[in-house]
Amino acid sequence: MTDNAGNLEALMRQSLAGDQRAYASLLQETSRLLRPFLAKRLSFTNEVDDLLQEILISIHKARHTYDGNRPYKPWVYAIARFRLQDYLRAHYSDHLRDAIELSEVEESLPEHVTETGMSYESISGEVQKLPEKQAAILRLMHQEGYTAKEVAKKMGMNESAVKVAAHRAYKILRNKLER
Amino acid sequence: MGNIEELIAKLAQDTAAVKPAPHPYMLSLKWVGAAAAYLAVSLAVSGLRPGLMEKFHEPWFAAEIAALLGIFIATSVSAALLAFPDLHQKRGAAFAPALTFALLLLVIFFAWNADSPPAPLPVHSFECTTDITLISLLPAAWTFYAMRQYASTHYHLAGGIALLSAFSVGALWLRLHEINDSIIHLIQWHYLPMLVFGLIGLWLGKAVLKW
Repeated sequence: MTDNAGNLEALMRQSLAGDQRAYASLLQETSRLLRPFLAKRLSFTNEVDDLLQEILISIHKARHTYDGNRPYKPWVYAIARFRLQDYLRAHYSDHLRDAIELSEVEESLPEHVTETGMSYESISGEVQKLPEKQAAILRLMHQEGYTAKEVAKKMGMNESAVKVAAHRAYKILRNKLER
Repeated sequence: MGNIEELIAKLAQDTAAVKPAPHPYMLSLKWVGAAAAYLAVSLAVSGLRPGLMEKFHEPWFAAEIAALLGIFIATSVSAALLAFPDLHQKRGAAFAPALTFALLLLVIFFAWNADSPPAPLPVHSFECTTDITLISLLPAAWTFYAMRQYASTHYHLAGGIALLSAFSVGALWLRLHEINDSIIHLIQWHYLPMLVFGLIGLWLGKAVLKW
């Protein structure tokens, strides 16, 4: 199946008429179409998958608003952008809610946040169990030797957020290793 | 990836024939028709202002009513377009109310300049806003209910436009019913509150139209 526009519109028309196979093909083509769009805007594969699922459900709910007579792609991208904005808004508001002022953690931060007494290799098993973003930050800082500033630039975050995430990861690791 | 395949299979299994939504122009025609009938009934019950026909010979009054009608039609069309995720790919028409509002502003400005000596202020004040609000409640509820059947991706704007559409019906009704020619009063108690309700609609849109 090629993803040229005419095919997608024809598939949608068949889907609206109740053709389940055409609908499955349409959703597969749509997810192929949207995956790179989302991957460009989100950092992690699991985020892309989660959001893609939400978008497919939204397409399903809103399919009666497409009549098969106008281009399909602008319709589907409008829904995708809408869900992406919703996701990013919720994501960033969660971050703001959970955000810790750097001054609050400064005292408990090690002198140099990139230096710890333990080698990264010895605890890499535990690091892998951390949330994806925290694990990535520790890997970049301790295995690949980037500074917090460089990691921030690489991951599209600010330096304080990287330090806070690293601090949280240290706390989790410390608790685990002390047990 | 496996989850996506599973979801697609499930959605495909659940699907049945779906009747596509009517074209937004047809939808807005229905809304305009219903609101016009409601306006006619309201005016029949409350009565037209005395000397309305002679009043239409005054160019700025006629222009004001025409601009209000323009707002009513443009906001109805825009609300119908905004109920679709892609604005039915008619973005220009969806933003047409901005032009009609600019036209009303212009008409009010010229009417104000032409209002010499100024018409006396009526004795009442906020009662006009209350009356407009009461008359607008039914069209507002109807428009929001109708818009909820679709899938707006611009719910803030859609809510604002829906309320403006409903309040334009109220404003038209009062202008055709009330004996009042004071431009200051019109601005203060008719049109500014209408804009305020448009702003409230931005918030209401999120509460009602989010899906």
